[in-house]
Amino acid sequence: MELKSPEKILEMLEGKHRIVLFGDSGCAQMCDVGGILQLEDMEDFLVENGKEVLGYVFVEGGMCDVNAFQQELDENKEIVEQADAFLVQACGVATQTLTQLHPEKESFPAVDSNFLGNMPERFKHYEQCAMCGDCILDLTGGICPIARCSKGILNGPCGGSMDGMCERDEDTECVWQLIYDRLKALGKEENIKKIWELKNWSLARGPRKLEHGAFFEEAA
Amino acid sequence: MTGEITPPHGSDANIVREHTAIVAEYCDAINITDNVRGIPTMSSMVCARLILEAGSEPIMQMSARDRNRILFESELYGAHALGVRNLMFITGDHTLLGSHPEAKMVYDLDSVQALQIAKHLMGGTDLAGDELEGIPDFFIGATFNPYADPLEMQVWRTEKKQSAGARFFQTQALYGLDRFEEFMSELEGLDAGILAGIIPLKGPRMATFMNKRIPGIKIPESMISRLEKAGRGLKGAEKREAVRGEGLLIASETIDAVRKIRGVNGIHIMSVGWESAIPELVKGAGLHPRPR
Repeated sequence: MELKSPEKILEMLEGKHRIVLFGDSGCAQMCDVGGILQLEDMEDFLVENGKEVLGYVFVEGGMCDVNAFQQELDENKEIVEQADAFLVQACGVATQTLTQLHPEKESFPAVDSNFLGNMPERFKHYEQCAMCGDCILDLTGGICPIARCSKGILNGPCGGSMDGMCERDEDTECVWQLIYDRLKALGKEENIKKIWELKNWSLARGPRKLEHGAFFEEAA
Repeated sequence: MTGEITPPHGSDANIVREHTAIVAEYCDAINITDNVRGIPTMSSMVCARLILEAGSEPIMQMSARDRNRILFESELYGAHALGVRNLMFITGDHTLLGSHPEAKMVYDLDSVQALQIAKHLMGGTDLAGDELEGIPDFFIGATFNPYADPLEMQVWRTEKKQSAGARFFQTQALYGLDRFEEFMSELEGLDAGILAGIIPLKGPRMATFMNKRIPGIKIPESMISRLEKAGRGLKGAEKREAVRGEGLLIASETIDAVRKIRGVNGIHIMSVGWESAIPELVKGAGLHPRPR
């Protein structure tokens, strides 16, 4: 995730004066967009630009946990009621959950959600998973070609892989080179010598929903 | 002997006819590219039909970047209905390398799976198993790039394409030949025709651009300096002629050399907008007139 530009944020909040900021200690904080630090920075920025920030709603865990979110909203009832607008410093799930909980007010996204990644060091994030709905990491030595090949192809590498790098730009590794090296090391190159059949992309499209059954009970 | 022409960047069908007329007598079949680097050009299916109408044999290229499986099936029916019989499938360059980097790329499937689809349709049913009203029949092919890495996996991938149905291969443009020879020896026994790819260089600037911007191209520095040397001290049209002449000479030498490599069945010249180079090179190689 990354914060939208200051201009964009002011443009969204045009005509709105009293603002409540939203963050959480989960993904929002991990992604450097909606931890306490970023809420404070956002408050300073909005105040400098003539807005009034009534306070923060900060959820321990994530705003995707609707019950935890509702509890935090209840505890901050006063500022929530007084607000002209909500500014959500977290992913689109948080903004939409807030819209569902408070449809009488407008919730605005302060953030663009980019990808599911990891964080090898603070402030650096690298995409790892495309949420395609059909994980194949067991066959690729734990390295995902869907998320990490710039073309997301299954019978890679394409003809643009050179010296371990992708044709797209000089900084992107060819994930098929990584998969090849890893499977060679595991002695599992047979996995990629055979043709991979067409993928079922219907699993990768929304809207999706899940209602978990009891896996272990079923397995037993 | 095959040659590749570039489709117009617009709707002028006469450009296709003119380019076809330049190369027709020198090629057994003419490739028509499919939105190279994601720069939109006239539909390869339409151009293939125009080539047919001009009396030549087209090889229609289809990229996996811009079509999902539904459009592949649909266009394969259409191509056959229009008389197109030769198809060549490619993954397709990343759009960030072209003029429309904001486009949403498709990649529902890759070139191996595209070959599978074409072969499947020839069996009389679509991917859902429903019977076809008219069964297409194609001669299908693909590409390989001997300079791409990792070499062993590129060899496996070529073999995958062959088992997916490819009956011919047209290679990426070849310059330094050591790696190609190594690749060819790895491919020994591959049951498909192999046409060695040639792109004549117009000058050092084009060579540097290609090394930088065209995926999978490796032009040795020695060739670039030959082009520079050829134009040194000259100006204007004279310089242009001298440099292009050297580019044709390099291409001719490469053609002579690849013809000696075991497993090479033919030559594929990609004009990249320099259609008149094709007759020169084919004549120079003693491969004209073509058998009819």
